[in-house]
Amino acid sequence: MLKILKGAGGERVFRAATISALVLLAVFFLGIVISMLTYTDWDTFITALFSREILSAIRLSLTTATIAAVISLLIAVPVAYTISRSRFPGKDIVDSLLDLPIVISPVALGAALLVFFNTPLGSAINNNVIRFVFSVPGIVLAQITVISALAVRLLKSTFDGIDPRYAQVARTLGCSQPEAFFRVTLPLARDGLIASAILTWARAIGEFGATVMLAGATAMKTETLPTAIFLSLASADIEKAIAVIFVLVILAVAALLVIRKLIGRRYQI
Amino acid sequence: MIEIKNLSLHLGEFRLKDISLSIKDGEYFVILGPTGAGKTVLMECIAGLHHIRAGEIWLGGTDITRLSPEERGVGYVPQDYVLFPFLNVFDNITFGLKGGKRTGDGVEERVNELAGLTGIAHLLHRDTRSLSGGEKQRVALARALAPSPGILLLDEPLGALDQRTAKYLRLELNRVHRELGLTTIHITHDLTEALGMADRVAVVRNGRVEQVAPPEEMLFYPESEGVADFIGAPNILDCDYCRDLGQGIAEVGCGSLKLTVPHEGGNISKVAILPRHVYISETRPPGLSVNGFQGIITTIEPAVSTVRIRVQVADNNLMVEIPSYMYEEMDLAVNQEVFLILRMRRIRCFSGRS
Repeated sequence: MLKILKGAGGERVFRAATISALVLLAVFFLGIVISMLTYTDWDTFITALFSREILSAIRLSLTTATIAAVISLLIAVPVAYTISRSRFPGKDIVDSLLDLPIVISPVALGAALLVFFNTPLGSAINNNVIRFVFSVPGIVLAQITVISALAVRLLKSTFDGIDPRYAQVARTLGCSQPEAFFRVTLPLARDGLIASAILTWARAIGEFGATVMLAGATAMKTETLPTAIFLSLASADIEKAIAVIFVLVILAVAALLVIRKLIGRRYQI
Repeated sequence: MIEIKNLSLHLGEFRLKDISLSIKDGEYFVILGPTGAGKTVLMECIAGLHHIRAGEIWLGGTDITRLSPEERGVGYVPQDYVLFPFLNVFDNITFGLKGGKRTGDGVEERVNELAGLTGIAHLLHRDTRSLSGGEKQRVALARALAPSPGILLLDEPLGALDQRTAKYLRLELNRVHRELGLTTIHITHDLTEALGMADRVAVVRNGRVEQVAPPEEMLFYPESEGVADFIGAPNILDCDYCRDLGQGIAEVGCGSLKLTVPHEGGNISKVAILPRHVYISETRPPGLSVNGFQGIITTIEPAVSTVRIRVQVADNNLMVEIPSYMYEEMDLAVNQEVFLILRMRRIRCFSGRS
């Protein structure tokens, strides 16, 4: 049986099989997007999109995701650099620990955060420093929890790809270690930084599980775009849900296009 | 003056074992050794890129063993140049000037001066990625020289270049060294390069310094089997007489051979030429041939990528080494009559101790 797959015939069969898989997947994604169009018409779509609730959700999502992405990157740059360049005992364990948030369900992360804020330390922070539970800072914190690990992962591979000799040469040219980092390593990491910023931002926009656990799903208060989809469907308002889905699709496509435009190539995750 | 005292370092698969070297001010010092000998690691130690646990490095009377690279005032041109790809040529050169500033306080003049010295004045506003290997090397050199370092470290500066560019750049490096009088350490695995450029050569093998000597002495008196092995046994001829012909040339008599050789004064007692610097031909070369001789092939031994041919010329035995491909194109056999040319500029002379 497998003998027929030898030679040029085998190549054709293999090519046909792999290409069909590609086409199937593409058609599937395109199909689910197009299917939504059959559920709505232009006027209801526009009315839903410009309703006070959805506009406020868009605003809230954009603000929280931007803050979360900026904070995550500020933390992830030194963390990723350390993991990429330094050798210290237990590095593998720390490295794996930082991968956990990527594989753990966001709902579990959000629930864990909520539990943390019920411990004495957590509730002291919640009551005296910043109120996270069922509030907007909670959204930002939930997003940071989910996306910072992704930012570290993306930036680590960026730093891994930068030859340390650039910084070494900078040192021999009179740069201190911090100077060499800011004048050489960071500029070399530019593409990776841009891509990580956009990808983590996009991931923050789409964050739902952890957010809904920690910040809740109060309409007009802690209602981000994914939460808006959830609330709309829960109240059987399909048109509104579809409007929000399209907003998310457009934001995602825009993010990917910007990466391509700025970096001039597809960024490998 | 650079002094390395009992430096030992263990770094991955590389090992430096108890290295002691003393390099004089203004000297062009070549570290010669096969790939993997630890030459680059040694240079990186001088540049301050490794933590040194055993041994000391002194530069001009100061112990720099524990100083960080930016405190050492060392100009470093790494292998493959490592130019900053996000900066153009001009900005690469100014990188090491105080705080990397681009204008004012004679920055422009300094860059022009360096560009003139290294022959890259026409490239200043080019993107470094569009430069050829030789051009990149010049830019890397200008960048390293910009902060006026106390010493210059060149790691295989000619290694990645094609032969013609390398030959030209070699002369340029010698000229730059002459003009600046800067103590220079140059790493190479190429014997001809080392012999042609160095004031003194250190042969490094397996992380150990095997011999430090001027090129001639290295060639005529290798101190260890390792050095002799690496140098590959040159043809050494004892001279009976030496007659100065003026213009830096002398005639020497070695048995029945009369040779014209480069002469820098003194009574030449021995001459040497590497087997690879002897031309062999089946037919008499046309034109006036300086140092041309006729001989008989006695043995032919194929080596890895070369063929070694022993030729009897009167009462002398000369070893000739040619690349295998060249051998295959020729039609050589034992007992055949052949013609040799000993390239005059490649002949090394030794006067003094015999």
